[in-house]
Amino acid sequence: MTNKSHDDDVAFIKSLAELLRKNDLSELQVKRDYENDGSLNVRVSRISSVSPTTVQVAAPAAATAPAAPVPSAAPAATPEDPAAHPGAVASPMVGTAYLSPEPGVDAFVKVGDKVSQGQTLCIVEAMKTMNQIPAPKGGTVKRILVEDGAPVEFGAPLMIVE
Amino acid sequence: MTREPLPWPEGVDRIVLDEVDSTMAEAARRASSLARPTWIMARHQTAARGRRGKVWSNPAGNFAATFVMKPGGSPASAALRSFAAANALFEALAMKVDRDALSLKWPNDVLLNGGKVAGILLESTGRGGVIEWLSVGIGVNLMTVPGDVGRTDFPPVSLVGEGGEACDGDEFLSLLASNFATEERLLQEFGFAHIREKWLKHAARLGEVITARTSKGEVMGTFETVDEAGHLVLLTPKGRVTIPAADVYF
Repeated sequence: MTNKSHDDDVAFIKSLAELLRKNDLSELQVKRDYENDGSLNVRVSRISSVSPTTVQVAAPAAATAPAAPVPSAAPAATPEDPAAHPGAVASPMVGTAYLSPEPGVDAFVKVGDKVSQGQTLCIVEAMKTMNQIPAPKGGTVKRILVEDGAPVEFGAPLMIVE
Repeated sequence: MTREPLPWPEGVDRIVLDEVDSTMAEAARRASSLARPTWIMARHQTAARGRRGKVWSNPAGNFAATFVMKPGGSPASAALRSFAAANALFEALAMKVDRDALSLKWPNDVLLNGGKVAGILLESTGRGGVIEWLSVGIGVNLMTVPGDVGRTDFPPVSLVGEGGEACDGDEFLSLLASNFATEERLLQEFGFAHIREKWLKHAARLGEVITARTSKGEVMGTFETVDEAGHLVLLTPKGRVTIPAADVYF
């Protein structure tokens, strides 16, 4: 649960960093309340053209909040930011990501797999609609950025294929 | 015995198969070659399936069909057909059983006397944020209560078993296709607001406490509404929570 939240937080912050860059903003602050408890306060700002984004994460509001990714998030939003990667495959909608067609079976793809254009990489579900996410181009799956069953935001990077 | 020709919506095709693995799988195989919106019905499915690998049993005499369409638009807008499909199925069943015995559970379950009489599953694929095709799979226990569904929170029931009128697959397909065409037209002409309003009128447990089981855990709260994006809105002691994907229990 905590690990999953941690990864979600990282993915969330990455998507904020991308938003900042795409829209040429200098600073963005967001508070996100969790379903069960706690919250995440994030301020993302661009301080120079060399290092485009830095990320500051405030302490969670509640003592029981999921651990906020204080130290690990910062490197993730450096020029390596996966959301900004040309091979990033973004989620086309808010929902839940699934890496396999159904529980207990092999994932659609794993890191290192060669994929062809149009091949299904994962599914994002919203409202009992299973939206298959195809590879936008042929290539190799370099990174998988979401966990099976993780909630994803619109535009969140799911995988990197290049 | 001959029967009156059954009504059928304009501009929609129909394929009826004696047997197939699953109508969803058949829809995926055929989708790219279909020129018009098409219903694919099977009298028998050898590998029927529900959401995320859940068992869906399809005994003879029950209904299984998938509607394949190419609505364009974003995946989020395609997913709103979850509610259009639920409304269409509600109306089709209401032709055969007391409509007060029917209710809807977010996003698209139709309950009959509180039991699971039908299931709807949608699949879509697309590229660059635009839908290529969408398939809406619908299974209905017309005659028989499946006996092999394992543990469920909503016991399976059948239309006939709950006092509904007997109905075969062809007739039910006609009812469903006609109602779906109506809902689709409403969606296109008046937008989701109209579909949503209609859905909420039939919603089970609106204003009551329900549980949404998400991939992150359970959220319990008062079922306030369904928002403009189709997401479930619960009021919890910690505030309002909006949920795009979950299984709902009560």
